[in-house]
Amino acid sequence: MSTATLPKIAAEPKRRPLHVRLLNREAPLGYTLLVPTMLMLLVFLAFPFLWGIWLSVTDAQIGVDETKFIGGANFLYERGDTVFIQSFWNTINYTLVTTVFKLVLGLSMALLLNQVFPFQRFVRAALLLPWIIPSVLSTLAWRWMFDPTFSVLNWVLVHPLHSVGVNWLGTTNTALASLMVVNIWRGVPFYGISFLAGLQVIPVDLYEAARVDGANRWQQFREITLPLLRPVLMVVLMLSTILTFADFQLPYVLTKGAPYNSTNVLSTWAFNIGVPGGDIGIGAAISLVLFPILAIAIAGVLISLRSKD
Amino acid sequence: MAEIRDITDYAAKDAWSRRKFLQATGLVAASLAAGPIIEACGGGTSGGTSNTGGPYKVPKARAGAKVQLLQWNSFVKAADDEFKRQAAEFSQANSCTVTIQTVSGDDLIAKTPAAVEAGSGPDIIQMEYGWPHLYEQACIDVTADVNYLKGKLGAIHQVNDAFCKVGDAYRAIPYTQVPNAWSYRTDMWQQAGLSKFPTTWDELASNGKQLSDKKLGQIAVSLGHAYGDAITMWYPVLWDFGGREATADGKTVTINSKETLAAVNWAINTWNSNSIAQNTLSWLDPDNNQAYHSGLISATLNGASIYLKEKNINKKYIDVTDNAAQPGGPKGLSTLNLIFNHAVMKWSQEQETARAFLLYAMEHDNYSKWMSVAGGYDAGPYAAFTNDPVWGTDPKLKPFHDVVPNGKWPAWPAVPSKATAQSQVQFIIVDMFAKAVTSKDAKGSIADAEQKLKRIYEKPS
Repeated sequence: MSTATLPKIAAEPKRRPLHVRLLNREAPLGYTLLVPTMLMLLVFLAFPFLWGIWLSVTDAQIGVDETKFIGGANFLYERGDTVFIQSFWNTINYTLVTTVFKLVLGLSMALLLNQVFPFQRFVRAALLLPWIIPSVLSTLAWRWMFDPTFSVLNWVLVHPLHSVGVNWLGTTNTALASLMVVNIWRGVPFYGISFLAGLQVIPVDLYEAARVDGANRWQQFREITLPLLRPVLMVVLMLSTILTFADFQLPYVLTKGAPYNSTNVLSTWAFNIGVPGGDIGIGAAISLVLFPILAIAIAGVLISLRSKD
Repeated sequence: MAEIRDITDYAAKDAWSRRKFLQATGLVAASLAAGPIIEACGGGTSGGTSNTGGPYKVPKARAGAKVQLLQWNSFVKAADDEFKRQAAEFSQANSCTVTIQTVSGDDLIAKTPAAVEAGSGPDIIQMEYGWPHLYEQACIDVTADVNYLKGKLGAIHQVNDAFCKVGDAYRAIPYTQVPNAWSYRTDMWQQAGLSKFPTTWDELASNGKQLSDKKLGQIAVSLGHAYGDAITMWYPVLWDFGGREATADGKTVTINSKETLAAVNWAINTWNSNSIAQNTLSWLDPDNNQAYHSGLISATLNGASIYLKEKNINKKYIDVTDNAAQPGGPKGLSTLNLIFNHAVMKWSQEQETARAFLLYAMEHDNYSKWMSVAGGYDAGPYAAFTNDPVWGTDPKLKPFHDVVPNGKWPAWPAVPSKATAQSQVQFIIVDMFAKAVTSKDAKGSIADAEQKLKRIYEKPS
């Protein structure tokens, strides 16, 4: 009779704790790692945004404890505000004009920086400076350059160039144009560096093949560069449009809405009404006016990007 | 639990829960804006008051207390330094800490409502113009302290009184006025063949034209959003031609009148004849100071800081700088000075120490010392300081003394209120003049101002 022992049944492996099992899987781990960011977004973005919506439908005033829901009354009230209407169109104007210029100049800058030339890295870094310098500081510097009495730009116009000085911030047209100039100066590096990153990942082989096929530089740009740069272009345009619509520091520091509210944009007018004026409910309503338009525009861009993917 | 009968009940229940959730997350996040706003919405904390019901007790500082006071950077640094010195002296004497934080006037305009809305921040905030009316609920009642000071220092100047008193209670302790008068270049005046500074607005326009024709420095005043210089210039012009923003009860807008038209036409004619500089539509408060110290203009309306800087620091144009009182118009002579008062905030944990410090600062000797160091930049709000020795130290300071009695407040004669404060921060009157001189459309500019004022004064509650 065989005395061989039956093989021992292997003991069941010890089960790892639930949290270890979960975190070893990609999806739960991914969501867990997102929690701190989501909390920050919830607290510092979502909550203030939702609070702003709440304020816009109340008669909230700074320093007044009692608040009551009034529906859309703040939005209706602003329909009769001529400064609000002017600020609205200023914002649209300001955003459209600066975006076009930033797009053209940024793309040009990227195409130039994509070439090889001496001190290329230094030039790339230097061209980023307008974007890096804190916007209030750079705007103050521009205010000095536009100063009605001491403008260095006017000195150059008058003395070496024997021309006439310009009242940069003193007329409605020049003041708004000055705002646009500063915004463009500040925003072009963002466009440029983003497009440069996009250009660098376009395979060089495509250009070589195109040259072999007889395509000239413009055809290469139109048929290769632009289509492949499109995703970056859309994202940059979307971000820049949002930031420019909401621009506050630049108009506030440069002109404070003068001359006679002609350079107020929605953000500065909302601040003026809501903060020193005390009507924070109305201020919140003004600042939310562009939200539906921006939301539709952003949704369109994102859908367009996804459909191409 | 209430029975849920249909989807609207559920929605109502759910909506209330969402609101509670938002409030709860706000508290957890301890967002600067969230907690105190929710606290305020929930009923708020009880307001402080110096009125205890019984006999008045002079507040005493608590040993170990920490009090912070937020005020503007006045254009005379020595005055701020003296105030800080007195705060240090008070702190040492009472074993507490009083810190003075100075910010620019524009920053004060932004920080104050932020602190009020958050329900936290400095214990004492310097209130500019009619802010006690805007932030009434955030300022404690200091009526007893003000009455105590009135007993010691005499009557309060009508403007400080109007700004500090909201209804029946004082919400701020009167502190100071920054008198505004004209600083001008006597050498340029002589070169233009002018013997003295004008005493009427028409003379000012005429003098300005002569200076301009001779290519001497122009008369220059801000037509931009300068919270000091633009307000102190254009409200008096309006008043001196008989124009009024609203009625005394603040219920009816009266800006659209032939008197206002006269004032605006004066501005247009003065502008068109090049009697005043035309590059001032974007001027903020420091701009006229810089232009004067650079020798580019012949006269400007300002506090005494231009004169004092020439006298004490620059010394370049001091021998050819003199000061003159505000000109008058066909319907009177008015001035408007920059007004500051101190409010103890409701959220302060050291209200008694804060009050004690403010009373210390207003003690006759301390305040007089501060006025002396300020060199004529500041005027006292109580009768006891009307003829303070500082006014006798320099005859050129006399105009800054003389403009104080006629001082009025923005939107006068309308009683200071939220509406008058709003019309002032929106620069409606200044913009009316600015728009008129550039568009040459007096009636259109007035109509535009009227529409804006009606939206504020006649806003449905």
